[in-house]
Amino acid sequence: MAGAHAEPLAHGHDHGHDEALHHQFEDIGQQNESYLVGMWTFLVTEVMFFGALFFTYTLYRLNYQYDFWVAHEHLDWKLGAFNTTVLLFSSFTMVMAVQSAQLKKRSHVMRYLEITVACAFIFLGVKYVEYSSKFADHLYPGISFSTDPKVFGEHGFVNGVPMVNMNHAQLFYGLYFGMTGLHAVHIIVGIGVLTALWRLWKNHAKSVTVDYVPTELVGLYWHFVDLVWIFLFPLMYLMPTPH
Amino acid sequence: MANSPAAASHEHHIVPTSTYFGTLIALIVLMVITVAVAQFQIPDIGPLTGTVLNQLVALIIAGIKAFLVVTIFMGVKWQTPLTKLWAVTGFVWFTLMFIIMGDYLTRKYEPLASWRPNQETALPRTIHGGTPMPMVDPNEANLHPRE
Repeated sequence: MAGAHAEPLAHGHDHGHDEALHHQFEDIGQQNESYLVGMWTFLVTEVMFFGALFFTYTLYRLNYQYDFWVAHEHLDWKLGAFNTTVLLFSSFTMVMAVQSAQLKKRSHVMRYLEITVACAFIFLGVKYVEYSSKFADHLYPGISFSTDPKVFGEHGFVNGVPMVNMNHAQLFYGLYFGMTGLHAVHIIVGIGVLTALWRLWKNHAKSVTVDYVPTELVGLYWHFVDLVWIFLFPLMYLMPTPH
Repeated sequence: MANSPAAASHEHHIVPTSTYFGTLIALIVLMVITVAVAQFQIPDIGPLTGTVLNQLVALIIAGIKAFLVVTIFMGVKWQTPLTKLWAVTGFVWFTLMFIIMGDYLTRKYEPLASWRPNQETALPRTIHGGTPMPMVDPNEANLHPRE
């Protein structure tokens, strides 16, 4: 600390980050930490947001285990696994974009961001296919929700006895559309943010090129979206057979 | 303030591509294991049924995947202690919230009468007079396949 108070206007470093440093911060390290903590605060509120939904899911899954299992048989785990792989890969390309930003390789950043956005669109395309098959069988919550357990094939209706309470199945699909839908909204927002970041890099905007942290903040958001899906996938698509 | 911990982190750590790629491979392998375990019926072990064990394995693997994403992809491993604290806060809160489950699991609460199993339609319901519908205890219902 010696001498630090004697030079209030000197930032005490010369790493070429001066352009990136805003006047309210002491140095670039403090600024970056503030940005990162700010982003993490937002992500903690997101954890609370999704957390309540995961709690609701857990509660009703415990109560209506068998019905949830029958209802989930309509989901295709192969599509879910494909989408999981796509999102994990997009997380990798995102982190590579951040690394390229640290190394100031502009063309690499842009290429990695393009791949990440492409993955987001593939994910949404698969979701469109999945949602369409649910809509076709009237498995969206509401007044027209299917009352026929036959919609679940062999598991729904055995020897003339319905094996599933369609009200509980509707609850499952309410949670399915609520949680995967909210997640999809985050993907769509992510596409917007990634595209905006890509445009800034394309235009050589100083706000992103002089320091890597803006790219890192978008990366944190994108990894969070991946994180939610990591839990949604086994909970929605991979229920073990109750016995 | 010039030599604060934040300033020390100024020399941001550039993680080699091999670390990121290795993490991606690990995540995909873990996902394949989750899918494989879900196809396989784990036998009951002691008081835990295979159903519960299957789900536990899936959630533990999801937890490992989340840990890899948070520490490596989100770079928390190389961040300042303050950022680490913030990252942990969200997950601590998430865990604390599940204490509420203790209330739900130990309390008998009424389900809607119309939600009894095997009912073709939710209507008609009798609220004022008439024969009340049989109530189903949600803590008992649907835990086992019905006859």
